[in-house]
Amino acid sequence: MDASSDAPGDDRLDVKAKRLLDAWRTPTGWRYWSAVNNSEVGLWYVVASFTFFLFGGILALLMRIQLALPDNDFLTADQYNQVFTMHGSVMMFLFAVPILEAISILLLPEMVGARDLPFPRLSAYGFWCFVIGGVFVCGSIFFGVAPEGGWFMYPPMTTEYQTGVGVDIWLLGLSFIEVASIAAAVELIVGVMKCRPPGMQLNLIPLYAWYILVVAVMILFAFPPLIAGDLLMELQRSLDWPFFDASRGGDPLLWQHLFWIFGHPEVYIVFLPSIALIAMIVPTFARTPMVGYGWIVLAAVGTGFLSFGLWVHHMFTTGLPAISIGIFSAASQAVAIPTGIQLFCFIATLLIGRVTKSVCLLFTLGGLATFIIGGLTGVMVAVAPFDYQAHDTYFIVGHLHYVLIGGTIFPIVAGVYYYYPAVTGKQLSEKLGRYAFWLMLVGFNVSFFPMHLSGLLGMPRRVYTYPAELGLGTLNLISTVGAFVLAIGFVVFLFDVLRSKKNQPLVARNLWNAGTLEWLGEVPDKPWGVRSIPIVESRYPLWDQDHFVEDVDAGRFYLPDAEEGLRETLVTSVVDAKPIQCLRVPGPTFLTHFAAIFTGGVFIFSTYHWYVAAAISGVLAFITILVWLWTGTAPIPEKQDKDVGRGLTLPIYVSGSKAVGWWAMFITMLGDMTAFISLIFGYFFYWTAHDDFPPNGSSGPGWIWPSVAMLTILLAYSATLAARRWNRQDHAARFYGAIVCGVVLSIVGGLALLYGPLAHQMDPTAHVYPAIVWVLAIWTALHVVLGVVMHLYCAARRAAGRMTARCDADIVNVTLYWHFLLLTTAITCLVIAGFPMVAK
Amino acid sequence: MAMTETSNHNEINKTDHVTSIWWIVAAPAVWAVHFLASYLTAAIFCAKFADSDGSAGEVQLAVMAYTVVAIVIIAGVGWSGRRRHRDGHDRSPHDGATTADLRRMIGLSTFLLSLLSAVATVFTALVFYFVETCH
Amino acid sequence: MSFLLIGDHSQSTLDPAGHGAAQIADLFHWMLGGGVLIWLIVVGLAVYSVVVPGGHRPRLTKTLVIGGGAVFPTLVLTSLLCYALAMLPELHRPPPQASLTIDVSGVRWWWRVAYRTGENQRVETANEIRLPVDQPVEFKLTSEDVIHSFWIPALGGKVDMIPGRETRLKLHPNRVGTFRGVCAEYCGTAHAQMAFDVLVMPQADFEQWLRGQQRDVSEPSGPAATAGRALFHRKGCGACHTIRGTDAGGRVGPDLTHFGSRLSLGAAIKPNDADNLRRWISRTHDVKPGVQMPAFEMLNRDELDSIVAYLEQLN
Repeated sequence: MDASSDAPGDDRLDVKAKRLLDAWRTPTGWRYWSAVNNSEVGLWYVVASFTFFLFGGILALLMRIQLALPDNDFLTADQYNQVFTMHGSVMMFLFAVPILEAISILLLPEMVGARDLPFPRLSAYGFWCFVIGGVFVCGSIFFGVAPEGGWFMYPPMTTEYQTGVGVDIWLLGLSFIEVASIAAAVELIVGVMKCRPPGMQLNLIPLYAWYILVVAVMILFAFPPLIAGDLLMELQRSLDWPFFDASRGGDPLLWQHLFWIFGHPEVYIVFLPSIALIAMIVPTFARTPMVGYGWIVLAAVGTGFLSFGLWVHHMFTTGLPAISIGIFSAASQAVAIPTGIQLFCFIATLLIGRVTKSVCLLFTLGGLATFIIGGLTGVMVAVAPFDYQAHDTYFIVGHLHYVLIGGTIFPIVAGVYYYYPAVTGKQLSEKLGRYAFWLMLVGFNVSFFPMHLSGLLGMPRRVYTYPAELGLGTLNLISTVGAFVLAIGFVVFLFDVLRSKKNQPLVARNLWNAGTLEWLGEVPDKPWGVRSIPIVESRYPLWDQDHFVEDVDAGRFYLPDAEEGLRETLVTSVVDAKPIQCLRVPGPTFLTHFAAIFTGGVFIFSTYHWYVAAAISGVLAFITILVWLWTGTAPIPEKQDKDVGRGLTLPIYVSGSKAVGWWAMFITMLGDMTAFISLIFGYFFYWTAHDDFPPNGSSGPGWIWPSVAMLTILLAYSATLAARRWNRQDHAARFYGAIVCGVVLSIVGGLALLYGPLAHQMDPTAHVYPAIVWVLAIWTALHVVLGVVMHLYCAARRAAGRMTARCDADIVNVTLYWHFLLLTTAITCLVIAGFPMVAK
Repeated sequence: MAMTETSNHNEINKTDHVTSIWWIVAAPAVWAVHFLASYLTAAIFCAKFADSDGSAGEVQLAVMAYTVVAIVIIAGVGWSGRRRHRDGHDRSPHDGATTADLRRMIGLSTFLLSLLSAVATVFTALVFYFVETCH
Repeated sequence: MSFLLIGDHSQSTLDPAGHGAAQIADLFHWMLGGGVLIWLIVVGLAVYSVVVPGGHRPRLTKTLVIGGGAVFPTLVLTSLLCYALAMLPELHRPPPQASLTIDVSGVRWWWRVAYRTGENQRVETANEIRLPVDQPVEFKLTSEDVIHSFWIPALGGKVDMIPGRETRLKLHPNRVGTFRGVCAEYCGTAHAQMAFDVLVMPQADFEQWLRGQQRDVSEPSGPAATAGRALFHRKGCGACHTIRGTDAGGRVGPDLTHFGSRLSLGAAIKPNDADNLRRWISRTHDVKPGVQMPAFEMLNRDELDSIVAYLEQLN
């Protein structure tokens, strides 16, 4: 898979290449698992996601067996409910989102000619979190304690009527994975924006990168509302804070809003990366550049935006006024426009080019033909009156599988056929591929097309059985037969992927004669990604730039060497990709494993209410992450600048908005703010939905303590700014003084925040009003605590000589955090102290 | 080499350059604000202030105002995008490694996105033409 | 496709028996036709591009992207949106003041139904709804535990029943017949077995039935039924079930006052006959897993028969 040390040709390399190879060499033996490079982590990620996919697929087959006949008793009601809950959750959280992250981690750096993503250890951490969380969640079904609330987990069923551990497993296990998804999103956004090769300005980046940029930004804004919802639900389940309990002022619909603000963009988060794969495959097989690059960017960005205006179409039947329903119906129609544009760009490209047929193209076209049906039924259900009938029936089951299998699975399989040679150096069988394709296409349609009809005949979703008299038996039997044909198709595909290819010759380099950078990889591939980081002047440099491959291989571009034996890649500017930094990325480590295990411990132990163990695990996770940051981030280099080749000298250490770390902090905090805004949304949702919110006679947190908190945090914020300034001016004493002030003021501010509700005896279990005030106060106070930790970290870094006046990335990033913290505090105080005065 | 070529080709000034990526998302952002404002106005009005007959006349007026403002801004963004796109003679796929092509491509995307945003904004406004009550 | 449609269609959206459902079925047929056409054109084009490869003119393709990908969908979607939005106000408009109003609340896993018969007067039944034909009717929907969704496919769309809220649904049946309603929102273990019968009747029949429902039960006739009544009370059935005119006043389970007149039992999962009722009482959880009612396995055959006799004659 990857070049091991005994790969042929190693000894023929010149001294520079050998140094480069040594720097990027994949660890061997058991240390292989400490690898953090994108080609290893990406591959593990792909394999793990596919494993979960197979698991979810088997669950689907169990459901189809149960539904093959009316009044069947293959599964009991509870078993079936667990199975369908797990099927949905596994496919969405453990396959659909992770696979896109996996493919992107694996391929994105290659597509943009980077040696690695900017935070390899973050990817590795995310991956191990994903594996631990995924196994934990999936494992529950073997003990019969799997969640059975559906993948949408609607309260109050899941808060008051399902008291088993299943719901907690879902909430905590999947929150854990969502954190990993956000980590990957941060990685991918910074990767696309800052790690492109010189010259690859925004009008030249591969379409895949555009899509991934859009999708990663969507993850950043879509996942936090769900995490906020998970937090509220877990608080209700473990501490009885009544967020969704109508009898104490709560509202079950708040969960639906938070869930679907996540849930609908999620569909596009899943779908766009697969379309992105198509956008890479189509030009290659049409032998011509993609038609309408600007149009596709429009489609990707437009879909990204519009997809956040659709969430209520999952709630059309909750009794909302027609006016609200109309608004979301309109946006749901509008989102079909950009989708259509992409499809026509693909077709136009095929029309202009001279098409070479292959299994990749077969899966691409089969996927499109299938997806279009899903798109058309999607437009139908976007029409609210029709949705009143179709909602929660098998029509929707049919629709969503046409979208997800046609729009996601088929393109991913096409992508596997396309990129398999690039990753492994061997080609998959075209013959087996065609068998797999026809089995899957026929099986899929036989299985899912009848569901539209059974839905319209009145078959609701999520039923473990149905009476014979309704005449749904034939349709369901056909669906079951189709499902098994589809499964056989997957088995053929899997066999093709897994069969031994020892005797098969290695493929030629750039087998498909594609034009983009990921095909620069040698066969067998070297762990360095590219021999030298090229200057890009075209969307398809392999087609358009003369002697391109030769120049890259001869090391005539940037960073052809690793004089210091360190892993290095280039950082460029966002819009026009001018080189601005030679970034040193960290190498193999087991720290990420420990961090993932301990973080996992926090979530897993909490599931079983073993809070002491969870706390210990949390402390260990915290320490591990601190050690990781301390040893692995922003080290002060031995020299300021470095010659990266071609006479270009770049700084090794940068701080502020030029640095990838600053971007990571900025992006993470955008996600964090989104979660916070979701909680604020909750506060005002209760106000809108209920006549008495805040309830008459209830005491709020008053205005005094929130004002004290606001003031002290503002001062602490000023102290942080001063610390940054004095550090830069190398006034050590003033710097430490400012940090001490900041810490003391923060502690006072944090306590004042909590003292407001405490002093007014707000009992969070009595009513939803005190509960939501407490949540906002605690949320903010926890962020203040984190701010204090960051202060202390910066002081320690400076004391240890790991931060200097010039190399000040730590305090600069911490200041950025404090900008957000100040905003969070201001909003919290205004809302909890100010709003009750206005509302009275 | 392209690098030197681009720096010589100083067709756009620095600020224009840095903000150009924001132009792409400007129009859809206006749609988003219009969308949220319309939804929140309608939802809050219907939940808190509607009469017993459920008339939503005030909301219709408010949304009409939002729509006019939104369309004007989107039109401005779109016009600016179109101007960037049409700058110079080149109308090919804008795939050159020049600042001019970068600018044209961003202009084109800005322009197209403002068209899409305008359609989506009108779609939202249409709702208030057809649905006049809070029922 | 019609050969697939064996069965009684009592739960079908494509065989409408109400104004709303008919409108929506029409809408669906139009969308279906349009959808099939669009699919054929787009997929035809894609297949053509592969089967007949080779250098089509770029100018033509540009027109294709703009016309086919942007302008045409925008026009189609705009008209569809206008058509759909124009339907909304009527579907959401409350029925005239004096219309029949029925309170239905979802309970895991059955339906509490109450007809408003006058000022502060309600008559309660369960798992069966009878409606007069050609009259608009308003349902006030609530839930007593989790979220359910009230759906009579033949008459119109569904509306969720949400704890802490009252949602409304207007239906307007226009054809006499027997239909089936179901819970459409997943609500836990026996979600699949939470249905109800809907009988749309001529106005006069309906009024007669409603008058009958308002009456309390009369004395049981025959020794078996009399013994059954005693047993019903002795076994504590009345703690959960109401039979108006007797001491049984429980509110946990369905009202059984006119149980004998209902078409089915267990929330419309089995026809209401003596055999099914016996099975229901003695092996409740085999018939409907998860149901809250305890199974009365301890009853011997005679006891069971007498309770069944009693319940079956509660007309």
